[in-house]
Amino acid sequence: MRHAAPAWWAGLGLAAFALAPWARGVSGWPGSTGLALAGRTWAAVGIGLALLAGLGLGLGPWGRVQAGRILVAAGGVGSALALGLVFARGEPFGAGALLSTLSLLTLAGLGLGQAGLVRGGGFVGAAILGASLLVGLFVVYPLAAVLHASVAVGGRLTTGPLVKTVTSPVFLLLAHEALPVAPGVVALAGAVLGLALGSAPVLAGRRPTGAAIRRLVLLVGGGALVGLLLGARGALRNSLLLAGAVGVASTALGLAFALLDARSRLPTRRWLAPLSALPIITPAFVLGLAFIYLFGRRGSVTHGLLGLDTGAFFGPLGVAVAQVMAFTPIAFLVLAGVVRSLDAALEEAAQTLRATPGALLRTVTWPLLRPGLANALLLVMIESLADFGNPLLLGGGVPFLSTEVFLAIEGRFDPHEAAVYGLVLLTLVLALFLLQRRWLGDVSFVTITGRPSGGRPVPLPRALDAGLTGLFVVYAALAMLLYGSLFLGGFVRVWGIDHRFTLDHYRGLATAGLPVLLETARLAAVAAIPAALLGFLIAYLTTRHRFAGRTALEFSALLSYAAPGTVMGIGYILAFNQGGLRLTGTAAILVLAFMFRGMPVGIRSGMAALAQIDRTLEEASSLLRADVPATLRRVLVPLVLPALVTGLLYCFIRAMTGVSQVIFLVSPGHDLATVLILSWAEYGHLGRGAALASLLVLFLAAVLLPAERLGRRRRLPSVAAGGG
Amino acid sequence: MVTRLGASALLIVGLWAGWPTSPAAAQGRVNLLCSPDPAWCEAVKRDFNKATGIQTEFVRLSSGAALARIRAEKANPTFDVWFGGSGDSHWVAQAEGLLEFLRPKAWGELRPNLTRAVDGHYIPLYTGLHGFGVNDKLLQEKQLPVPATWKELGDPKYKGLIAMPNPNTSGTGYVMMTTIVQIYGEEPGFELLKAIHKNVAQYTRSGGDPSLLAGRGEVAVGVSFANDVVERARKAFPIRFVAPKDGTGYEIGALSLVKGAPNRANALRLIDWALEPESQKLGPQNGEVSVQSNARTPVAPDVPRFEDAKLVDYDFGKYGTPAVRDALIKRWTEQIFPIPR
Repeated sequence: MRHAAPAWWAGLGLAAFALAPWARGVSGWPGSTGLALAGRTWAAVGIGLALLAGLGLGLGPWGRVQAGRILVAAGGVGSALALGLVFARGEPFGAGALLSTLSLLTLAGLGLGQAGLVRGGGFVGAAILGASLLVGLFVVYPLAAVLHASVAVGGRLTTGPLVKTVTSPVFLLLAHEALPVAPGVVALAGAVLGLALGSAPVLAGRRPTGAAIRRLVLLVGGGALVGLLLGARGALRNSLLLAGAVGVASTALGLAFALLDARSRLPTRRWLAPLSALPIITPAFVLGLAFIYLFGRRGSVTHGLLGLDTGAFFGPLGVAVAQVMAFTPIAFLVLAGVVRSLDAALEEAAQTLRATPGALLRTVTWPLLRPGLANALLLVMIESLADFGNPLLLGGGVPFLSTEVFLAIEGRFDPHEAAVYGLVLLTLVLALFLLQRRWLGDVSFVTITGRPSGGRPVPLPRALDAGLTGLFVVYAALAMLLYGSLFLGGFVRVWGIDHRFTLDHYRGLATAGLPVLLETARLAAVAAIPAALLGFLIAYLTTRHRFAGRTALEFSALLSYAAPGTVMGIGYILAFNQGGLRLTGTAAILVLAFMFRGMPVGIRSGMAALAQIDRTLEEASSLLRADVPATLRRVLVPLVLPALVTGLLYCFIRAMTGVSQVIFLVSPGHDLATVLILSWAEYGHLGRGAALASLLVLFLAAVLLPAERLGRRRRLPSVAAGGG
Repeated sequence: MVTRLGASALLIVGLWAGWPTSPAAAQGRVNLLCSPDPAWCEAVKRDFNKATGIQTEFVRLSSGAALARIRAEKANPTFDVWFGGSGDSHWVAQAEGLLEFLRPKAWGELRPNLTRAVDGHYIPLYTGLHGFGVNDKLLQEKQLPVPATWKELGDPKYKGLIAMPNPNTSGTGYVMMTTIVQIYGEEPGFELLKAIHKNVAQYTRSGGDPSLLAGRGEVAVGVSFANDVVERARKAFPIRFVAPKDGTGYEIGALSLVKGAPNRANALRLIDWALEPESQKLGPQNGEVSVQSNARTPVAPDVPRFEDAKLVDYDFGKYGTPAVRDALIKRWTEQIFPIPR
């Protein structure tokens, strides 16, 4: 069965090559098949021959390694020819081209495994090639198209846009007569503060160690940087400060909620999962809108309840609070899994050894939490950097990097400038990524070993429990208020002005909103399943296998998450509007955009889950002669199912709530719910917008809650055994 | 059990998700890129379909985004007609060769002052005054007078009480800039824009938002087109339109045929249909409460009248030139926008 795999794939490819139309929108079957093309171009002949070679190698008697090498060559050349043919002919690819390329690539992968060039067999080889091709086409290629636009104007290379943008005062303003304090002075103050903090142990009489000196340098540098940022103005400064503040606040809140979730003794524990999931299922700008209604100058809380008259929430403060509300659940989702699977036996052991609570935290709990915290911080900071809805609605027009990308494209029609802003954002994310790598190092954090663990999680100390619960209650109350005003908004005539009851908004939805909502859900569902599977596959390949280009694959996949939606959107338009890969105007481009924006969550949650599973489990499985697919199916997937479910859900939800990328891609007949809500809200049809947003939120809640429960019931075995 | 349940659920979802929705035939169809109030877009879709049987689809994007979209799709346009939106973005698109100008059947019936101003560039669809949406209630609470001129908007007493659209994204914001420059000249105009900048509480992306913020009482003055203000007032927001006494700008909303339109014949039918008085009534009924371009279309009584305003002699040609437009917006973005408020 396994040995016949090349033959099956070659058969599929040959059938597609001979029977299915090579390009879309070309009439005249059978004259439109790849086979028919073979009469006109030598490349098609090559593709056919490569497929035949695959069939022969699959069926015939062959030396394993020898045939594998030939298979690699045939598959590699064949798929390169197929891609080349698609690009060269410039007609949008059809089913024939798609399936032929796919099977040729799979053949090359199977060959890699057979020839022993990739450890783990044909499945691993094929998976690596397939994932690389997909990520290359739908993440790297569109970004390359944008970057090309940033350094090439009219076909000539130039640094003009780069220099113009980076020296612009919107980007970073270091000197201006209107600044209260010169940035240099603040930077100096920050450096002095860092120096004081770092040298305190030395003054206290301890001998300076290498680590202490490194810490000193870090503190001085960090203090100077933070001081510089505080003193300066401009998009770069605003985005960095915002991301830092929101990242730290959300991660801290997420950790607090994760601790409550696993170890609280109070009844509020049950409300954690559903409530903290609420902001995730809401488009960020809808929350921002509700925010104005509660905390604006005429907000029902600030003005109605407290009698204030303040515009303070229009500005970075409002953006920061709204982002913390929106992104804390992401940190919670990442950390909940980590905290839940902390092995209580380790803590018990430490307690038996008379560790003080402080020592327990420092030497056991903290090192176990660190990867989760780093992941959460990274995710939240990236989200904050890329979010454009809240800065746009609440930012008071203060520049941020993400809004400038958007304004450059949508307002100044300058893809070159937007690309430079995108480049800066990507660089920042790259720096975060490297920082996280460095922080985590190569330390192992295995807590799932397959060996039984008898510990029971230690409940939180009562005072801490009560304190954290108090924090949670404040957060929950704020969330309830936001949603309350949103739901109410759909039932009153004019939100904030005329509060008489009406059903008109919902009646209006029947023709204009509901079909769009269903279409959005359909496309998101189509995208979510492959996205989650591909995400897990990439996580598995990059953590469990070594191959050339491993880091490149992992990083390019993450790019699709990090790249601001607007840049990705323009990239998709630039890359897929013409030639062989033409996709604009179809539902497929929306599905692909959804898929590759959601996939990185699958990767990260898969990686976090896999990092906790001891490799000996897989080694045992392979000693029992299970191949890689069987090991995946029977050992790993059951263990990481919660992570898989999280990836799937998150991709679906992200697809249904995202707006910045798809606003460029919607086409007549394929409108999306968020784009519709935004355009209604912009034109003051707030009631209808609120009604559709409420429906969207309720729909996502109905999807999320049962699935969440399913994911929870399937807890990781060692935790279930220990924690009960 | 759970696995089987989950699997069947997945199967059902997969079937539903994978079911192909019938693609509309390429014949008998027209695609609109629609920039005004979405309610108007919906009404056009419904009534044009009813009148001709042609299947009509639209995507709503504000003028700036729509121009970006048409530029990006230059090689392969999805859209046939760009319906509505600020005239200068159509003007720019026309100058870049993205649109095809033609005189529709009803050209002779359109208001001559409009056709004279934009002949050769786009088809006028509607026209409206540009000025302030004022919330009297908030001003009274603050014991401030109603600002009567652009100059007064720069008075520090209005600090934190003004919303205006960002000229980078909004045609409405660009019209404000060009109006002030045309009244006072470029250098003094930019001094005034700087003074106004210091008073602004919120820059918005679209031209419709400032009047909404003023209507809700978040700010006292929202720089806006009259039609947005009147539409808010009709929806019971406490807001009214004030035409600035030192000079009032105006816009000519546009209708254009996209170059290389995939459904050209139907696009031409839609353009002719959209200029009939009967179809033009849809605008004022659906949010675009302005003067429609066909002289035979009746004007609603609450539309602010051109005769009562001191109009600036708006140079559409000059300010629709991409180079002039880019230079002005660039200057504002670099010299005024970054100043700390």
